[in-house]
Amino acid sequence: MVLRILNNALTKFKYFYTYYELSRALIPLIILILVSIAMSPRYFLNPVNIKVVLMQITPLTLIATGEMLIILMGSIDLSPGSAQAATAMIAAILTRTTNNLLLAILVAVALGTLIGVINGVLVSKLRIYSFVATLASLVIWRSFVIIVSGGKLIYGLTQYSVFTQDFGTYIPVGFVLTVFIVILIYVLLTKTVIGRYLYGIGSNEDAVRLAGLRADFVKFLAFTIAGTLYGLGGVMLIAMGGFAVDPWSARGNELNAIASCVLGGIMLTGGSGHPLGGLLGASMLTILTNILVLLGVTEIAVQQTVVGIVLIAAATALTRGLRYVK
Amino acid sequence: MQSSLAVLVENIVKRFPGVVAVNNVTFDLRYGEIHGLLGQNGAGKSTLLKVVYGVHKPDHGNIYVDNRKVFIKSPRDARKLGIALVHQEIAVLPHLTVLENIALLGFSWGNLISKFDRSEFKNYIDKIMSRFGIDLEFNEKVRNLSSAEKMLVQIVAALSINAKILLLDEPTSPLSLHEVEKLFDVLKQLKKEGLAITFVTHRVNEALDICDRITILRNGEKVATVESKDIDAHTLIKLMLGREPEELYRVRVDKDIETIFSRYLGEVPLIELKNISTQPQTAAEVPLKNINLKIYQGEVVAVFGFIGAGKTELGKTLIGLTKVSHGDILYMGKKIKIKSPVEAIKYGIFYLPEDRRVEGLIPHFTVAANMDISSLNIVKKFGIFIDSLKELNISLDMIKKLNVVTSSPYAKITQLSGGNQQKVLVARAMLTNAKLVIFDEPTVGIDVATKAEIRRLIYRYARERGVSSLVLTSDVDEALGLADRIYVMRDGKIVREYINKNLDRDEILKNLA
Repeated sequence: MVLRILNNALTKFKYFYTYYELSRALIPLIILILVSIAMSPRYFLNPVNIKVVLMQITPLTLIATGEMLIILMGSIDLSPGSAQAATAMIAAILTRTTNNLLLAILVAVALGTLIGVINGVLVSKLRIYSFVATLASLVIWRSFVIIVSGGKLIYGLTQYSVFTQDFGTYIPVGFVLTVFIVILIYVLLTKTVIGRYLYGIGSNEDAVRLAGLRADFVKFLAFTIAGTLYGLGGVMLIAMGGFAVDPWSARGNELNAIASCVLGGIMLTGGSGHPLGGLLGASMLTILTNILVLLGVTEIAVQQTVVGIVLIAAATALTRGLRYVK
Repeated sequence: MQSSLAVLVENIVKRFPGVVAVNNVTFDLRYGEIHGLLGQNGAGKSTLLKVVYGVHKPDHGNIYVDNRKVFIKSPRDARKLGIALVHQEIAVLPHLTVLENIALLGFSWGNLISKFDRSEFKNYIDKIMSRFGIDLEFNEKVRNLSSAEKMLVQIVAALSINAKILLLDEPTSPLSLHEVEKLFDVLKQLKKEGLAITFVTHRVNEALDICDRITILRNGEKVATVESKDIDAHTLIKLMLGREPEELYRVRVDKDIETIFSRYLGEVPLIELKNISTQPQTAAEVPLKNINLKIYQGEVVAVFGFIGAGKTELGKTLIGLTKVSHGDILYMGKKIKIKSPVEAIKYGIFYLPEDRRVEGLIPHFTVAANMDISSLNIVKKFGIFIDSLKELNISLDMIKKLNVVTSSPYAKITQLSGGNQQKVLVARAMLTNAKLVIFDEPTVGIDVATKAEIRRLIYRYARERGVSSLVLTSDVDEALGLADRIYVMRDGKIVREYINKNLDRDEILKNLA
C-alpha cells in the first residue's frame, strides 16, 4: 500500500520532471539549497555569505543566459569568457582614463554587442560551424585583451561599487539588475515571435527554413543579443570581482556558462529548456562551490572534481529517456 | 521445419503515455509462411513488431520462439534467437559500400575474435544472394542505390546472420510498383526456403498478393486472422476500417472541370515554368529536364510519377532550393527569380514537405505552435509579441475544421498520430495567405480514412479560397480523385499532360510502363 503510493508519487514526479522544463532546474536547485542549509546552517544563511553568493552569481548568470540563447538554437558559443574579459578590460581602461563610468559601461556593452554581431555573421552568413567560429572568437578576443592591457592588471576601480551596494538588504544592486535582464530575456523567449523562431530553429531547423522563415536573421539576432549580455557580464565582472581586471580574467568562463546551461536543464541538442535555466544553473554552480568552501574544501582541484561529478549527474538526468545522444 | 510454429506472441499489452498501443494481441507465425499484419496508421502494427524485436518492453504478455518461452530485452537478444527486423525507414549507412553495410548490419561480437576475411565473406554473401536470386553490386556505395536495393541490403544482412524469422516493417512504402514486385519475388523465395516472414503493411492489395495469412489490427486490438485465399479486398478494407469504404478517393466530380475551365480560359497562369532545367547539387538529386508547367489560380494540379521521377525536385525548384541552370519561372506572366523559401513566401508559394518528421514538424512544439509558425503575423500584437489568446482561438478553430484528433492545442505534436500530424501541417499551409501550396506526397503513410479527409481538405481549400494546389504524388488514384489537370513525370521530364475528365487509370499508368 505504502509502496504503491510511493510508486504513484514517483511516476507523477517523473512526468512533472519530463514535461515541465522549469522543474528540471528548479527542483535540483531547491534540493541543493536545502542540503546546503542542513549541512552548514550558521554559515550558509549568514547574510554576508548570501551577499557573496549573489555577487558571484551575477556575472555568471549574464553570460550563461547569453550562452543559453545559442544552445537553445542547437549551436554552441565558446566566446563568452573572452568576450567578458575584452569588455571588462575596455571598461576598466576607459574608467581609468576618462573617469566616466557611464561612458565606460556603454562602450563595453557596445563592444560585447559587436563581438556578438561578428559571431553571428560568421555563423549565419559565412556558414562556419558555431563551434569553430566562436573558437576563433575565443582566441582572438583574448589576444585583444592582452594587447590593449599591455599584459598589466588594472585595479582600484572603486566606481563600480554602485553595483555592489545593497542598501542594507544584502542583495546587491547588480544582482537586481541582472534578474531584471533575465526577465526581459524570459519575455523575449516566451512571448515574442523571435523566441518562437529561436526555439523552432533548435528543434528542427530544416522545417523552420522550409516554412519560409528567416532562420539566418534570427540566428544573427540571437548571437548579437548574447554578445550584449556578455558585455554586461564583463561590467559585472569588474564590480563583483574586486574592482580589478587582469588579462586572464574570466578565463574558462565559457565552460562555466555551458555547465550552467546543462545544470539549468537546457538541452544541448537545442529546442528544449526553460528561459530561466541560465539563471538557475548559474545559481546551482555558484552555491555548489560556495557550500564546499564553507565545509572547508578549499582545494580548487577537489572543488572542481565535485562540480564535474554533479555535472555528469545533471547531464544524465537531462538526457534520460533519449535513445542516444551525440 | 515446414509449418511448425516460429513465433507465438500471447496477450501482448503495450502502453505509452496516454494510449494503449497494443491491447491484448495474440498472433502466431509459422515457418514457411508470409504473415501479413494489416492495419491503418496507429493500429499498433509497428509497435507489435518492435515488442517482438526487443525495442519495446511489453507491459503484459508472453513471447514464445520455437515453442520456448523467451524474454527479449533488446534487439541483440532478438538476433540471437534468429529474429531480424527490416526497418520502415531504411537503416543503412549511406557512405559505405554494399558489402561493408552487410558486414556491419550483420555484425556480432562473436565475429570480432575471428579474423575478418574479406574474400571469404564475399563468397559467403555471394552464395546467399544467388540462393535467393538477389542481385547487388558489392562495391557500390549504398547512397547510390535505389530504395528497393537498400531494402535488399538489409535483408541480405539479416540472412547473413542466419535469421530464420524476418520482420518487415512497411517495406513497400518507399518503393515503386516495379520495385515492389522485385521485393516480392525475393520474399517468395525466402518463404520457399522455410523462413518465417511477418509483413507489415497498410496496403490491402499487397497483403492479398503476398501473404498466406493476414492478421488485421485496429486501434491496437486484433480484429481477425484470416487465410488470404478466403478473403477479398473489400472485406479486408471493411475489417481494417471497421466501416464501409465509401467514396474514399473521388473527392472531385467531372462536371467541376467545366466551371474551372470556363473561368481560367484566357487567364494568365499564376505560375508558369518554361523550359526549366536544373543542375543537381547532390548525387541523390534528380536533374529536371525542360519542364513546362502551368498552374492557374484556384486549380488543383497533380504531378504524378514514381519515386525518383523528380517530383520533389520540381516542388523544391518553386521554392528556390534547386539550382536552375536554364529556363524561366513566370509569376502572373512576369519573369521572377526565387532563391529561397523566404522569397517564395513573398510570391505566396508555400511548400509542404514529403518527409513530415524530417522537414515538416517541429518536435518540441505544441500543436498550436506547429500550426501558426509560418503565419505568426496574424497572431502578433505590438510588433513582435505573440497574442496567446488569438493563437489559442485560431488553433482551436483549425482543429475543429480539420478534425484533428488531439487532447488539446497545447499537446506536443509528437503525441499525435501520423495522419493528425499531417493535418496540422495542412493547417499550417492554410493559415498562410499562400496563393500556391505545394503538397509533396500529402497522404503517404496515412491510413485510408484520414487520406480521404486530407484530400477533401486540399480540394475544398482550392475551390473555396481560390488557392492553387500542386499535388506531387506517386499514387495514381490520388491524382485522379483530386486534380483538375495531371502531369505525368518520369526521369526528370514531364511526359504527358492530361485534363482529368473521363480519364482512365490505365491510360495514365501506361506512360510509365
